[in-house]
Amino acid sequence: MFAQRGKQELLRELEGVVTFFGSYHAMRAESVLRKSGRRAVLIPGPREISPNCGVALRFDYIQKEEVQELLDRSFVQYESFHHYPHQG
Amino acid sequence: MKLRYFDNAATSWPKPPAVAAAVHRCLVRGGGNAGRSGHAKAVAAARTVLRTRELIAELFHVADPSRIVFTKNATEALNLALYGLLGPGDGVVTSSMEHNSVMRPLRHLAHRGVRLEVVPAAVGGVIEPAAFCAVLTAGTRLAVVTHASNVTGAVTDVARIGEHCRGLGVPLLVDAAQTAGCVPIDVEAMRVDFLAFSGHKGLLGPQGTGGLYVRDARALEPLLRGGTGSRSDREEQPEFLPDRYESGTLNTPGIAGLGAGVQYLLRRGVASVQAHERRLLEIFLEGIAAVPGIEAYGPADTAARTGVLSLNVTGLSCSEAGSALEDRFGLLTRVGLHCAPIAHRSLGTFPEGTVRFGWGPFTRERDVRAGVRALRTLAGERR
Repeated sequence: MFAQRGKQELLRELEGVVTFFGSYHAMRAESVLRKSGRRAVLIPGPREISPNCGVALRFDYIQKEEVQELLDRSFVQYESFHHYPHQG
Repeated sequence: MKLRYFDNAATSWPKPPAVAAAVHRCLVRGGGNAGRSGHAKAVAAARTVLRTRELIAELFHVADPSRIVFTKNATEALNLALYGLLGPGDGVVTSSMEHNSVMRPLRHLAHRGVRLEVVPAAVGGVIEPAAFCAVLTAGTRLAVVTHASNVTGAVTDVARIGEHCRGLGVPLLVDAAQTAGCVPIDVEAMRVDFLAFSGHKGLLGPQGTGGLYVRDARALEPLLRGGTGSRSDREEQPEFLPDRYESGTLNTPGIAGLGAGVQYLLRRGVASVQAHERRLLEIFLEGIAAVPGIEAYGPADTAARTGVLSLNVTGLSCSEAGSALEDRFGLLTRVGLHCAPIAHRSLGTFPEGTVRFGWGPFTRERDVRAGVRALRTLAGERR
């Protein structure tokens, strides 16, 4: 119950969403962000912002520039960055 | 009778216990199809596949794990590279020590108008970089070479060939079926453009796993096209890696096991496995050196060899020798031509073949000494 509440809070705090064309790149983005000590949570891809792969990644929108730079440096291919607060 | 497994060059056994545990965990607690959904099980499967990809990238010094493409074995990886790159009129250069997983696609492509040049190996089945490079030109479409022979274990100096190829602008495809996990590989330092590897030999994973490292993402036409879970709004194959070359559901349980095998190697160190297998080879060679009636093949320098040895016992066909080794001594070897007729022609052992011993990271010195004793007995009986 607490874990569930914690996850909801985390999802609310991470207002950025990055979408991908394929799941490899979504998974790799999560792996790269976490290894760098950043918060990242995979979520089912919101249909309204991407028709592509099944998963997207929530991140701290305030870190958008650093995150984008890190993904570029790690050869991660993404579709687009969004400010997309969690609805719930 | 105790069985001793000496056929690691065909498939490694035993595996680290973590390999079977990972396959079991994937089947029992896993479920879900990587990349096909956003639910917890699909995400867990995709994470499993990513983890193995990252580990293999680390093992081969690949900065971008998306360049590691999973296939069902090294043969499929080689076919992907050869059919993906070569067309009528293209020139390809290879060696006379190749396995049929290279020679059969190349002979088939030659019938379709690919110009094939086969560079003969030197004494002992060694591929001389200078002789190999001498026939390359800036117009050569592809150079293909085995990193180590599956018959003699002779290791090719790929770095020297790679340096020459890169200078000419000729892509280099390396067949690492016999070396991945047994000989250190750095694709950047060795200037390799494509590296085909088996998952179930030196990498200690389950059968049905293998892959191809691809340096230039779009260099190849895909071998298969189909569902990837990505760009599902389009009817054309995605262009990005790894999806461009990975259509259809992956062997996720196998890949989970492969990840555990590679993890074991990263912890132990490939150089340590190489040193272990070299020590076993030296014990074996020392043990049979003074025995009349045993002819061993391959280069004299054990530093340029894997843990594979081919030999024949005078007066016995290789199949008679192999049967006697199994029936009387419990030693499991591989006899015949080892799917490499051109390599046996190069060694002068065609069409009879040889008895092949292949050691692995878990072979013990006492196993090898038992092999030496059995061969001494067999050779002694024929005199």
